[in-house]
Amino acid sequence: MIGAGVKRGTAELAILSVLEEGPLHGYEMARRIEEQTKGALRFTLAALYPMLYRMEQRGWIRGAWETSQSGRRKRCYRLTPAGKKKLSPLRKEWAELFGALKRLTKVAHA
Amino acid sequence: MPDWQELVRKRLSGLKLGSAEREEVHAELAVHLEESYESLRTKGLPEQAAMQQTLAQVADWQDLRREIQIARTVKENLMNDRVRQLWLPGLLTFALSMGLLELVQKFGARPIVLDLDKGTPVLMFYTPWLLALPLAGALGAYLSKRAGGSARIVLASSIFPVLPFGVVFMIAGPVGLVISHSLAHHIVTAAFFSMSVGWVLAPGIALLVGGFLMQLLISRRSSTHGISMS
Repeated sequence: MIGAGVKRGTAELAILSVLEEGPLHGYEMARRIEEQTKGALRFTLAALYPMLYRMEQRGWIRGAWETSQSGRRKRCYRLTPAGKKKLSPLRKEWAELFGALKRLTKVAHA
Repeated sequence: MPDWQELVRKRLSGLKLGSAEREEVHAELAVHLEESYESLRTKGLPEQAAMQQTLAQVADWQDLRREIQIARTVKENLMNDRVRQLWLPGLLTFALSMGLLELVQKFGARPIVLDLDKGTPVLMFYTPWLLALPLAGALGAYLSKRAGGSARIVLASSIFPVLPFGVVFMIAGPVGLVISHSLAHHIVTAAFFSMSVGWVLAPGIALLVGGFLMQLLISRRSSTHGISMS
């Protein structure tokens, strides 16, 4: 079973990455992540919002209410400078981790 | 179609937040549920199935209430990144540097005095202090790096003790030149130069050497040990 720390780390990376493309509200964020990872990562409401609120507390993202073209009010999140700064080392860290796991599984199968 | 906001309000009852903040959370989650439901309906799911699938996103509403409450009220990091990566290591490095200077002076180490010119201020170096400063710089760099500081922040933490002096001299130098009507300008310039070298430049280089070596050491260790999964 994947530990909570790993899950949280990948979720944070996914959210920061998708917000790098532009501001999004929660539902659209979950939809994009699912679409871009071809269903490998799925955020339910219960998983997404506590994560968004935690990231907002840390100052990585900022939410603000906006009115969409349909007239519906939605809370849109955007990356803060601190979030942008966090993204690059986080990406590097996860790339190293996946690289290491890949090497490990190759050795195990050899 | 149900009243999503009312549904969320009922299921998240007991959420201990300010009333405005609580309403915001209810509204935000309601919009999410509404959009999920509409999307499923657009895909052709019957009302009942779409409703079930939408609500299946939350297995335990009490658990979600707890999670939201923790996320919105508990500060995970009491100190923000800047404090942990720069201010704390910097202030500790400053305290250690001043402590080392105090020790050097207490044990009677004589400063090296360089006479620049007759009657003008002199350069003073406490050699043992300068030799010990790389340790302080290394400590600052270590603490900053451990807190996840970038290379720039790590080096800033290691030279932190000289930054206040640097700022003071940068202000005091020009101000001194302006107000020193009665003194010869070359004396003020020499004083500014000697104090900058003695209290900023030389200690700054010593601290930087320690910080740089520590950063090098940590980078080499992390490249051989990989990432820690703490």
